Amino acid sequence: MDDISAQFEQCLRRHLRLAKPDSINYDMELAQLGLDSMTAVAVLLDMEKTFGIKFPDDMLVEGTFRTAGRLKEAVQILRERKAS
Amino acid sequence: MTRALPDRSLGPEWAILELLTRGIVDDTEQQMIRDLLLTDTLNWGEVLEQSLRHKMLPMLAHQIISAGLRFDVPTSIYMHLESALEWNRCQIEVFRRETVRVAQGLASCGIHFVVTKGIAFESTLYGGLGTRYMNDIDFMIAPRDRETVMSAMQGLGFRPFFEWAKDPRREEISSRLNPDHLPKLAREIDQPGARTVQVDVANSLTWTKSPFAVPVEEALEDRVEQPVPGMPGVSISCFRPIYQFIFTVLHLFREAWLQKFVDFGTDVGLMKFGDVIRLIERNHDELADGALMQIMEAHNVTHPVAWVLRHLDETFHTHTLELLTLEKDGDEGLLRSQMQSSAYVRASGQSMRARLQSKNRGSVRPATPAHSGS
Repeated sequence: MDDISAQFEQCLRRHLRLAKPDSINYDMELAQLGLDSMTAVAVLLDMEKTFGIKFPDDMLVEGTFRTAGRLKEAVQILRERKAS
Repeated sequence: MTRALPDRSLGPEWAILELLTRGIVDDTEQQMIRDLLLTDTLNWGEVLEQSLRHKMLPMLAHQIISAGLRFDVPTSIYMHLESALEWNRCQIEVFRRETVRVAQGLASCGIHFVVTKGIAFESTLYGGLGTRYMNDIDFMIAPRDRETVMSAMQGLGFRPFFEWAKDPRREEISSRLNPDHLPKLAREIDQPGARTVQVDVANSLTWTKSPFAVPVEEALEDRVEQPVPGMPGVSISCFRPIYQFIFTVLHLFREAWLQKFVDFGTDVGLMKFGDVIRLIERNHDELADGALMQIMEAHNVTHPVAWVLRHLDETFHTHTLELLTLEKDGDEGLLRSQMQSSAYVRASGQSMRARLQSKNRGSVRPATPAHSGS
């Protein structure tokens, strides 16, 4: 699969007011970058539109987007599922 | 305990709404609101706009009609107010019937539930006059019953409301991420003037990721039956006043404290404060006898409750903190550390009174900080 890092980070930066413009720390909790319940919805919607995926109900839980790393992993899994 | 009358520093229009919020309790207040409504320079546009913003148009209409001001109010305005009150009464009739239908459906499944907020308050705190505005029916259930209730509601003809929403996927994601409620439910009805009836089923007295929690199961153990106006022999289950009070005040706290409700345009309004004032007035003996304090202390919710009551007393000249002996509680610094999320109050620095009157609350959101993380 293609490297989605650039698109993924761009998507996060659109919504997270505390994310740095040059790099994203994939281990930091997204809440520390400004994610709240409103922006979480916006981020997930944006990810779905950007990557043509749909988060199933069992992925619509906080664990999916606790960190950028976890969220990117979820996006990659859904892209792979879609491709196969 | 007498209450000082509202001052007129924010204009007669706002003083009218403050009086209606508190409820008119004596001849002095009745005379004051009459005088205010008869003010020569009264800006009716402002009165109507603020009444709509605070969901108090039916209450204003009832006050004007019952005070016999038919020929003192501009005719076109009076006619619209009459219609607004009548329409609200029709809506409430629909809500009452639907509440009973849902309640009977849930009861037949063995579910413990209560009816909360508007439909519970209108027949008690507002005297069943059809003046309490509401746009949905609120139920509370225990978290363990979520699936059973969802299934029962579907059997009663309800579907998730996000199917009707402008952006259904946004609503769907939002409801999944906030498991303090079932997805908002709606049913199409064959009723002139009302396309759907909406039901909101909560399973928490607070909210998702709240630092405060009062177990729903505990509150549901303590239910009371409340008659339904116009339906002899029919009653609905409601919280006893102590839990009704805690739930209502914590709900108001959340809407007043969190920035996101300002962004949504659904933050605190006068009517919610009116609910609290009336709850206390109607049940003050039960609320002041010590049991409430014990429950609040046991669940560590004394500070948010006192914070709300402090704002209420400062805004409406009531004495609720004193009545409930909470004068020393409600520390805002402590609440900030407990809430740890974006707070409107910290950013705005407005008095609650100025905030309630403001039509542009969103403008005080703090500027986006410079990139400071990651």
